[in-house]
Amino acid sequence: MAIPKLLSRAAGMAAEAGGVVVDRVQHFRVPGAGGGPPTDSPDRSVQRWRVVTVLCSPEQIGTGDALPAPLAELGDRIEIRVTPAPGDKGTELAARYRGPATEEDLRELRSALRRAKQLIEVGEVLRVDPVPHGKRKPTPQGAALEKATEQAPKEGVL
Amino acid sequence: MKAATWRGTDEVAVERVPDPAILNSHDVILKVRQSVTCGSDLHLLGGYIPFMRAGDVLGHEFLGEVVEAGPNVRNHGVGDRVVVCSFISCGKCWFCTHEMYSACDNGNPNPGLTEPVWGQAPGGCYGYSHALGGFQGSHADYIRVPYADVGAFAVPDGVSDTRALFASDSAPTGWMGADLSEVGPGDCVAVWGAGAVGQMAARASVLLGADQVVVIDRYAYRLDQVERHIGAETINYEQTDVEAELRERTGGRGPDVCIEAVGMEAHSPGPQYLYDQVKQQLRLETDRPAAVRQAIHVCRKGGRVFILGVFAGMVDKFPLGAVMNKGLTIRSAQQHGQRYIPRILRLMENDELRTEHLATHVMPLDQAAEGYRKFKEKDDNCVRAVFEPAG
Repeated sequence: MAIPKLLSRAAGMAAEAGGVVVDRVQHFRVPGAGGGPPTDSPDRSVQRWRVVTVLCSPEQIGTGDALPAPLAELGDRIEIRVTPAPGDKGTELAARYRGPATEEDLRELRSALRRAKQLIEVGEVLRVDPVPHGKRKPTPQGAALEKATEQAPKEGVL
Repeated sequence: MKAATWRGTDEVAVERVPDPAILNSHDVILKVRQSVTCGSDLHLLGGYIPFMRAGDVLGHEFLGEVVEAGPNVRNHGVGDRVVVCSFISCGKCWFCTHEMYSACDNGNPNPGLTEPVWGQAPGGCYGYSHALGGFQGSHADYIRVPYADVGAFAVPDGVSDTRALFASDSAPTGWMGADLSEVGPGDCVAVWGAGAVGQMAARASVLLGADQVVVIDRYAYRLDQVERHIGAETINYEQTDVEAELRERTGGRGPDVCIEAVGMEAHSPGPQYLYDQVKQQLRLETDRPAAVRQAIHVCRKGGRVFILGVFAGMVDKFPLGAVMNKGLTIRSAQQHGQRYIPRILRLMENDELRTEHLATHVMPLDQAAEGYRKFKEKDDNCVRAVFEPAG
């Protein structure tokens, strides 16, 4: 196999690996980085409320079709819980799937909650500068990082 | 346009990249007038922050002229000369409304890269890896500035570019260290690091009324700047036992406030440096915290320690026993620049805060690689290399 083809294939595999790594990191606690080992079963993890605190009144969250678009688009698949946050912190906006959900479903929910919060607080969702800015070669390490970055808006502890 | 990009470990190049565009209604596009290297860039160049990609534009401390403004920008128009906070903050979330701007909830579009390690994601930062948003940096002809009404500040007419440039990051970072450490009359303040941030923390301490301010470093030319431009005392740690000297100068108590402005690549004399180097290179610790350890050890009982230097991950041999048994308060933050920049620009206008001496090497953007080399190697008494795209 020609070297460029080999490199291209390695880059493709690395990109896949980048996604897998980000996915795994959500369920892996780095020693010394705080937190004990996760004890939730996969089912319990899926059922947990995912919550963001939004600096607004509970009424500004809306209900049903009046929810911010990213959440409204998920329709009846999710349930929503809105409660005042303590102090001056605003409103706790929680969501979870009514039924079983895949990892990809959870990614969509994380992203929807974050975008909903931005729409309420700022009025629009912050866009990212297109990449690459400069020239780059398709290396396996770079492909893994790019895949991880691509998934980063939908990942995290939320 | 032309831009200085990260090409790999210790490799900077100037290349052509696409021009930035307005992507959100609150964006402005700046024509960069000056952009300066920062010690925290060296962590990117050294490969210690693993979220850079070849071709990413470097630079986060800058000043420029507005050439285009989005439809919802209220405070700035075409032609305005502005300095921009290095951290990208929305100004609307709970953290921003409580002046913790670098903790903004809506400034970093890539929370999935940092939340697993830090628990929560900070705001975004220009030119500081995909972990802090993947925003294009300022070592370029042009830069996009999101949330411009929050992060960009008009520069008073009487303030030169080179003075105002440091209101972007070094000065507010240093000011924050002194302010959040509650420095005031009666305090003895020790600052580790005589780079731009350390000098600004020392100057802030002087202006906030501290009785005594001492800056610690090993580079004589930087300590000389501290004595001539900042009005603080100095200690050269390669020639003097820092802890013994500080105890002697503070009546045996130790400093009331210790501000660390060094970061994750700290140098130190003795075997501790070798120990940290080996562990860092083997990735058994990500950061070398020598100055933090010393600050905690020498700080007076019940004193305050502020960590201004940039750290990324885990450290080893952290003196938690000293923190607990001496009752220390430890604070830290990425800079909440939007909170301090207006005051800093006023101080600059009144000539109470001068920063021109920090710009030891002003050069065209084409020479960015050489500028970073001089800056990293402290060649030719370099404190900061400033790039001028039009130079």
